[in-house]
Amino acid sequence: MGPYPCGSAAVGWEGVRSEVQCTAAPDIDGLLAGAGYRVRSSDLCQVAQRLERLESAMVYSSGGGHVDYDHLASDAVHYNPSDLASWVDSMLSELTPADPGPVRQAPAPDGWVDQIYPQPQRAVAARMEEEEDSGIRLVHLLMSSAEAIQRGDAALSGSLIDEMRLLLTRVNTGFGIGKVAGYFVDALTRRLYSVSSPAASGSPAEYEILYHHFYEASPYLKFAHFTANQAILEAFDGHDRVHVIDFSLMHGLQWPALIQALALRPGGPPSLRLTGIGPPSPDGRDSLREIGLRLAELARSVRVRFAFRGVAANRLDDVRPWMLQVAPGEAVAVNSVMQLHRLLTDPDSPGPAPIDSVLSWIHGLRPKIVTVVEQEADHNKPGFLDRFTEALFYYSTMFDSLEAGRANGSAAQQQQATAVAEVYLQREIRDIVCCEGPNRAERHELLVRWRARMGQTGFKPVHLGSNAFKQASMLLTLFSGEGYCVEEVDGCLTLGWHSRPLIAASAWRADDLEDNARPVPDNFIFSSISSTSNTNDSNNNNHNNNDIINSNGSMLRRNSNNNSRSSDSSSQQESIHGM
Amino acid sequence: MAGSEEINANESKMVVPLTTWILISNFKLAYNLLRRPDGTFDRHLAEFLDRRVPANSTPINGIASFDILISSLLLRLYFPSDTPTLPDFSNPLFRHPFPVILFFHGGSFAHSSANSAIYDSLCRRLVHHCSPAVVISVNYRRSPEHRYPCAYDDGWTALQWAYNQAFLRNSPNSNPNIFLSGDSSGGNIAHHVALRAAATSNIILSGNILLNPMFGGQCRTPSELKLDGKFFVTLKDRDWYWKAFLPIEADRDHPACNPFGPNSVPISGLPFPKSLVIVAGLDLTHDWQLRYVHGLKEGGHDVKLVFRESATIGFYLLPNNDHCHVVMDEIRNFVSSNCH
Repeated sequence: MGPYPCGSAAVGWEGVRSEVQCTAAPDIDGLLAGAGYRVRSSDLCQVAQRLERLESAMVYSSGGGHVDYDHLASDAVHYNPSDLASWVDSMLSELTPADPGPVRQAPAPDGWVDQIYPQPQRAVAARMEEEEDSGIRLVHLLMSSAEAIQRGDAALSGSLIDEMRLLLTRVNTGFGIGKVAGYFVDALTRRLYSVSSPAASGSPAEYEILYHHFYEASPYLKFAHFTANQAILEAFDGHDRVHVIDFSLMHGLQWPALIQALALRPGGPPSLRLTGIGPPSPDGRDSLREIGLRLAELARSVRVRFAFRGVAANRLDDVRPWMLQVAPGEAVAVNSVMQLHRLLTDPDSPGPAPIDSVLSWIHGLRPKIVTVVEQEADHNKPGFLDRFTEALFYYSTMFDSLEAGRANGSAAQQQQATAVAEVYLQREIRDIVCCEGPNRAERHELLVRWRARMGQTGFKPVHLGSNAFKQASMLLTLFSGEGYCVEEVDGCLTLGWHSRPLIAASAWRADDLEDNARPVPDNFIFSSISSTSNTNDSNNNNHNNNDIINSNGSMLRRNSNNNSRSSDSSSQQESIHGM
Repeated sequence: MAGSEEINANESKMVVPLTTWILISNFKLAYNLLRRPDGTFDRHLAEFLDRRVPANSTPINGIASFDILISSLLLRLYFPSDTPTLPDFSNPLFRHPFPVILFFHGGSFAHSSANSAIYDSLCRRLVHHCSPAVVISVNYRRSPEHRYPCAYDDGWTALQWAYNQAFLRNSPNSNPNIFLSGDSSGGNIAHHVALRAAATSNIILSGNILLNPMFGGQCRTPSELKLDGKFFVTLKDRDWYWKAFLPIEADRDHPACNPFGPNSVPISGLPFPKSLVIVAGLDLTHDWQLRYVHGLKEGGHDVKLVFRESATIGFYLLPNNDHCHVVMDEIRNFVSSNCH
C-alpha cells in the first residue's frame, strides 16, 4: 500500500478533512487549526517553503558544524505562535536580515474575533479526597439548592441548605471542597434569607486591606502587574513623555516596578505622568495623594521625572476624559486590572451598558497601549444556576491554589495572608450569588468576550510575547506548589491552576489614527520633579499635580491655607477645560 | 551517510501530506531551539510555544472531557457524552464491558502535555474510533527536570487510580478493561508501567497499544544510520533526549531505553498483556522497535506488529492519510477483541 497521494512541492497536495474538533474560519486550514495553528489554506505552500528556508538558515547560521540556536531561543522575542506564518517569518528575519518579503503582504489579520477554540464552557478541575462521598454530596446539594432558588422554591432550597450545614459539620472545612462549599452555603443563605439586598459591605479601606492580603497570598495580582508593566514598557519605547492612567490605584503596588524599569531604560527614562483613579476617602484622608507622594519619592530616588494626579470617583463611568488631562504628544497607557467587568450589565438587558461609553472614550484617548486583566470566568450569565455552577468551580480552583500554592515566607505570615485573601474572595462570591441587577458588580466574562468587545470598539490587539511569558513563569517560582501555569493563548497570557486558567491578560492599542490636537487647559501645569523637591507641597498653590478632581465636577484644592471646599460645580469646569 | 545536517526536505515532502509536513517541520525547528547543547531545556519557551486546549465538558462531536487531579498529577478524561454534565463517579459509566485507554502522550519525554492540542485531538479520535470508550491522558512529569523514573511513577499512579474507580468498571464485581497506550515516549512509558503491573501487582491489563514507541540502545542500527536526518528526526536529537531522561551516569543500554538489551529484565512467565505495536518504516529508530517486538515474542508474549513501511513519525497527528486510518482500525479491532 503506497503512501497517501501527494505531489511534489507546488502542486496537488490534498488533505482529507475528517472529524475536526474546532470551528475555524472558512479559509483557515481545519486540520492545523485542530493542532492549534492558524494558517490560511492558500498560504500552506508558502509556509512550507519558508519552513524549509528557516531550516537552512538555522543550519548555516550555526556554521554547519556544532548547532547552536541559542540566540534565537534566548534573545529573540516570540509572539503568538498560533500564527505560524508570522512566527516563521520572524525567525527568518532574525537570521537573515535581507529577506525577500513575508508570506503575506498584508499586515497580520486581526483574527482575534475568529473563534478557533471551542468556548471553554467549563474547564473543571475536580478533586478526589478522603471524604470523597461527602464532598460529592455537598456539590450535588449545592447545585440542587441553587436550582431550587432559580425555580423560586424557597422552601426546598432552605431545607437543602440545612442539610448542607449538617454535612459541613462532618466534613473538614479547613481545606478542599469543604472549605469552598462553606462559602457557597453562606452565600446561598444570605440570598435566601436577607431582607434587604446584600450590597457589598465594608469600606474602601477595608477592601484595600483584603486586596493587599490577596496580593501577598497568591500570584494573580502580581501576574497582572508584571504582565501589564511589560506591555506598557514595550509600548513606551522611543517615547519621551508618557502618561499612565490607572483605573484602580489601590496602593499603587503596580507602579514602583514600572518606575524602576523606566529608570533603567537604555537611553534614559521618559517623563512619566501617572493618573490614579480611586474611590474618594470618606474620612477626609486623601489616600490617592498619599500614594502619589510615595511614588513621587521613589521616582525621585531613581531620577525619573514624575508627576501624579489623583482622580476620585466611585465608579469608572463617572470619570470623564477631561479629568485625565491627556496632553498632546504624550504616549498614553491605560491600565485596567479587574475593573472593566464592573461596567457590564446583564447580557439580556436592553440598551447600552456603561462599558460601551467607557471603552469609547478610552479609544478616544488614542492610547499606545491598553492593558486589560480580568478574571477568566463566565460569571455574567443571567441564569442563576448557570452562574452559580460556574462560580462554584471557578472559586474552588482558586481556593485550591491558595491552599497549595503558598508563597515562600514564614508559615504564620502565609497563614494569615491566605485567611484574609479568602475573605477577599468571599466578597466576590457573595456578590455573584446574592446580588442582582445594578447591585452586582462582579460580572466576570471570558477573555474571548473581552476580545470581541475590544475589537468591536476599534482596538487592535498587541500580542504579549515570550518575554512577558518568561517573566510570568519566573514569578511563579516564588510560589510553592507546581500547580500554577502560565499559558499563551493567541497573543494573550493566562495564569491558572492545574490547567484551569483563572486570570487573563491582554493588551490593545488605538493610536494609529491621526493625533487630534487637544487644547491644553489653562490651568494645567506639568510639574517637573525638580520643582517639587519638597514632596509636601501643600503650601504651594501652583502645583496642580496633586489636585484631586471629584467625579461630580467639583475641584478640591489641597492647600493647608484653605479648607477643602467644593467649587461651583460643572459650569466652572467646563469653562476651564473646554471639553 | 550520517549527514545529520543535510536538508532532505524533498524526500520527506514526498511521503506526507502538506499539512502534516508543515506541522512536523514546525515542531522540528521549534524543538531545535529548545534543546541546549549543555543538556538543559528552555522550558519557558517550550511552554510558550506549545498550543493548548482546555477541557470541555460540553460534548464536541459527541465527546466530552474534563481534567482531574490526583495528588499533584493531572489527568484528562475523555468519554462519549450527549449532555454537558460530569459522570456519576460512583456508578459504572456503561453497563457492558468497555475499554479504558490510559494514554501517555509523546514528546520524547521532554515535550508536550496532556492538554496539548495535538494530543487532545488524538485522544478524542481514539474515543471516537473505539466508542464507547474512555481515554485517560496522563500529564506525566517530563525530563530533563524530572528524569527516570518519574514518568513511569506517574504512569503507575494513574493506573492504580483508574483501576480503583467504580465508574470505570461495568459492574461492581468486574474488573475494568484497562489498556495502556502511548506514542513515542508515551509508548515507552506504557511498556514499563505494564511491566510493573505484571511484576508487582494483581492488576491485569487488557492490552498495550504502542504507537512508534521510543526505544534505543548504545549501538547504532542500520535504520538509524540509513535514515538519520531524512525524515524530521536526527540521531543527535534522539541521543539528546535519552541523555535528558536516563540517569546521569547511564548509557542507552539502560533497561528503560533498551528493555531487551544487555541489561534486560526477563519478562517470560510474567502476566504481561497482549500488545499491538505500530511501527513506521521511515522512523529512524524502527530497528529498535522491531527488536522490542521480537523480545516480547521471545518472552512468550502475544504481540501483533503493524509495520507501515512508508509512514514517518507523527503520521497519526493529523487524520489525513491512509496510515492513520488503517492504524485506527487496527486499534479499534484490538481493543474490542480484548475487552471482556
